[in-house]
Amino acid sequence: MSAPSRIMAHMVAWYPDGVSSLEVARGLADGGCAYIELQFPFSDPTADGPDIQRACSAALEAGFTVDAGFECAEAIRRFVTVPLFIMSYANLVFTRGMERFLTDARACGARGVIVPDLPPDYDEGLFRTAAKLGLAAVPVLSPSMREGRLSRVGTLETEYLYVTLRTGTTGSFTEIDSSGLEFLSRVARMDHGGKAKVLGGFGVSTREQVQAVSPHVHAVVVGSALVRLVAAGGDVASAVREMVRKLSGAQETVGA
Amino acid sequence: MKRYNDFFGSFGGRYVAEMLRAPLDDLQEAFLQAAADPAFTRELEETLRDFAGRPTPLLKAENATRELGGASIYIKLEGLANTGAHKINNAVGQAMLARRMGKTRIIAETGAGQHGVATAAVCARLGIPCRVYMGEVDMRRQRPNVFWMERYGAEVVSVTTGSATLKDAVNEALRDWAASFPTTHYLLGSALGPSPYPDMVREFQSVIGRELALQLREKGVDCAALVACVGGGSNAIGFFSAFLESDSPVLIGVEAGGRGSGPGQHAARMNGRGRAGIVQGYKSLFLADSDGQLLSTHSISAGLDYPGIGPQLAHLGEEGRIKFTTASDSEALDAVQFFARTEGLVFALESAHAAAEVMRIARDYPREKSLVVNMSGRGDKDLFILARALDPDRWTAFLREEAAR
Repeated sequence: MSAPSRIMAHMVAWYPDGVSSLEVARGLADGGCAYIELQFPFSDPTADGPDIQRACSAALEAGFTVDAGFECAEAIRRFVTVPLFIMSYANLVFTRGMERFLTDARACGARGVIVPDLPPDYDEGLFRTAAKLGLAAVPVLSPSMREGRLSRVGTLETEYLYVTLRTGTTGSFTEIDSSGLEFLSRVARMDHGGKAKVLGGFGVSTREQVQAVSPHVHAVVVGSALVRLVAAGGDVASAVREMVRKLSGAQETVGA
Repeated sequence: MKRYNDFFGSFGGRYVAEMLRAPLDDLQEAFLQAAADPAFTRELEETLRDFAGRPTPLLKAENATRELGGASIYIKLEGLANTGAHKINNAVGQAMLARRMGKTRIIAETGAGQHGVATAAVCARLGIPCRVYMGEVDMRRQRPNVFWMERYGAEVVSVTTGSATLKDAVNEALRDWAASFPTTHYLLGSALGPSPYPDMVREFQSVIGRELALQLREKGVDCAALVACVGGGSNAIGFFSAFLESDSPVLIGVEAGGRGSGPGQHAARMNGRGRAGIVQGYKSLFLADSDGQLLSTHSISAGLDYPGIGPQLAHLGEEGRIKFTTASDSEALDAVQFFARTEGLVFALESAHAAAEVMRIARDYPREKSLVVNMSGRGDKDLFILARALDPDRWTAFLREEAAR
């Protein structure tokens, strides 16, 4: 049997609330995810579809603050050994101050940060400051990128690249077709020698999708599908654990 | 001023997720090409003349001047433009640009509904399918505009997320565009958002300022100050555009003072109330908490209760070229009544904020000096809000009778 696919599991800090989101993280880790992407909710998440939007609103109502977000990340890091990335929107980073946000991110044990609306050259010093602090700032690449733009981002030589397999917002199902895979090969060509670890996702919710993408990336990102499980309530830790196992292909060997 | 600036001081920029980068690059290029093409500008001018009804008049408000007892009051009647507001200027320009780019679908956000109505009307003329995102709260407040958009053939989509007002409609339009940009143009109505929108919207609205400069010269008006309301700021930046690079006249922007200065009670971002931030693709001043989460806002006018301000206006405010002040809900209502009674003009509630400021400062100037207020829209759309506020008993009785028919 082939090795399980690496999964980057996305979750929203403080969703459904501060304590329960730690349970979600535990479930994701128990399921065998390779990375955790911890989203700091913003009031106006324009890149996200309805599931993550609702989760972010609920988390803000539950009392999320950026301070609490870093505490949440730190708490997760106490029982989770896989690398953790903080994802958020420009305004939360900019308002706290780039240097301070990234210093706090490093202090809580995050491996890196993902801020889609701070792209290279409108990044407010994100990439430079992260490099200085030894954090991985991860550019988000999309199939609509022109060659020139793609190679310019490539010159940053970041450790990780986050690739959306289609345009649009998070959540709606992505048909893994030639266009998404073609873009992954464009990214691979741009990334001379395949040094960067590619995190690929957007609308991935089935094992079939993971199997189609996995050979072309370092890890497959699963977001809204997991958030929907948390939204459904009940024993969310077990629910997300089983989904990560199933999607990674580890279910049969580990036993459900 | 250059047509394309990207940044205004530290404000502006193109802070968008990578997938929107290429469509914005394309838009910038197409806009600059069109603006330099005499055939495009000729057709734009003709359309503004024959369809939008330009030039709009500059009215000397003699009765108001007499009653207020100070400066001579002039009113730029943008509200007489087709569809009832200045919004048509930008809608015509961008829709023509969209057609030139080969786009087959147009989407827009709207707050008060004037931008939505203007966009829907232009799309009807050009035969381009149109979808307008509008907050649920705004749909309730500005029902007549929903009705008209649908008559023009537009699909009006109710936005229920967040505060269900203008900012949420912008979010939803951005989400639509992130998937639809190959075929779709996002016709943004305010001078904000990622570049090139703030520059492009100013350029299309600058027709107001060019006309005004000409009219002031023709009438020999000694203009002391120009006054405009500021939501996102498209009417203000257009109205002020011809005067930004000189020291005079004084330029006054009026924000929504709402019903108080506490959080959530107003939509005034200038004079230390807003925080520098990056939201919806641009850097400017926003009403946000100490983490950067956007705060709720309030204004009686659906067109002014947006938590951000156009980046160029924010910059000009910080530089001191534009002075900012506020007018409250009740001052705006008073101004609507005052100009209806004295001049036979019903200001839109948004524009009435500017009118209220003129009423406040008129006596600071002698008769030889003039104040010009931009009536950026007319108030027909506000019938339900005005009637409930000013004549509640008879209005409610009427609505009951109508509902029972």
